Amino acid sequence: MLAEEGFRVRGFRGMRPCARLGLAALLLALAAGGAEAVERGDPAPGFSLPALQGSGSVSLAAHRGKLVYLDFWASWCPPCLSSLPQLEALRRELPADRVQIVAVNLDKEPAKARQFLAQHPIGYPSGSDPQGRTPESYGLETMPTSYLIDSQGVVRYVHEGFRKGDIDEIRSRIQALLEGKR
Amino acid sequence: MSAAQLRLFAAILAAAAGLGCAGVKPWERDLLARPDMAWEPDGREATARSHVFFSKEASLEGGGAGGGGCGCN
Repeated sequence: MLAEEGFRVRGFRGMRPCARLGLAALLLALAAGGAEAVERGDPAPGFSLPALQGSGSVSLAAHRGKLVYLDFWASWCPPCLSSLPQLEALRRELPADRVQIVAVNLDKEPAKARQFLAQHPIGYPSGSDPQGRTPESYGLETMPTSYLIDSQGVVRYVHEGFRKGDIDEIRSRIQALLEGKR
Repeated sequence: MSAAQLRLFAAILAAAAGLGCAGVKPWERDLLARPDMAWEPDGREATARSHVFFSKEASLEGGGAGGGGCGCN
């Protein structure tokens, strides 16, 4: 009888106030964990950001119909900096009417990113998101992370980090999608 | 203050302290990524020190190689 009493499920209302508070705090802390990471097969969250260089805005919707390679970067992230010139070289290789590279810079001080781009210019647009709302919506887990998004706005490939030789993997992924392979 | 009140107060305190913990998102690591925030301020010096350390510590083996003490690995 006593054991039964001990194991009886009393529900939230039946709990002691301090246990109730503890459970609520635990649930709140778990809920504050942030958005779930966008994976292959998920729709790519849209965004519209001020351009890092010049005026105007950079949005995902503007490139709907093309294969988009979305790259999140920051000037304080060394692998990001090594990826930018390589992505720029890749951009020149790819058909501009079918593939678009779009970058999102996450520097809290965009001037630092502009300073880097002054030395290593890129021919693709980069938005500036110092508040980090876009990476939040993508549930970014590491820096840098890139998403290959098809013409329907669906994520087809997620690339985390950037090491030597990664550009070849990215190139082959893009080419496979251009050729209609999965 | 009764025991129940004390427990409630402790629970509130623990909950407040728990909620105060905030994770650093990957895109918020700009200050943490600075070289002066590294555990070892100078990577090359740290490598040299660790090499000297494991070369001297014959009983501990070297960094990945058998034995130790010769300073040759």
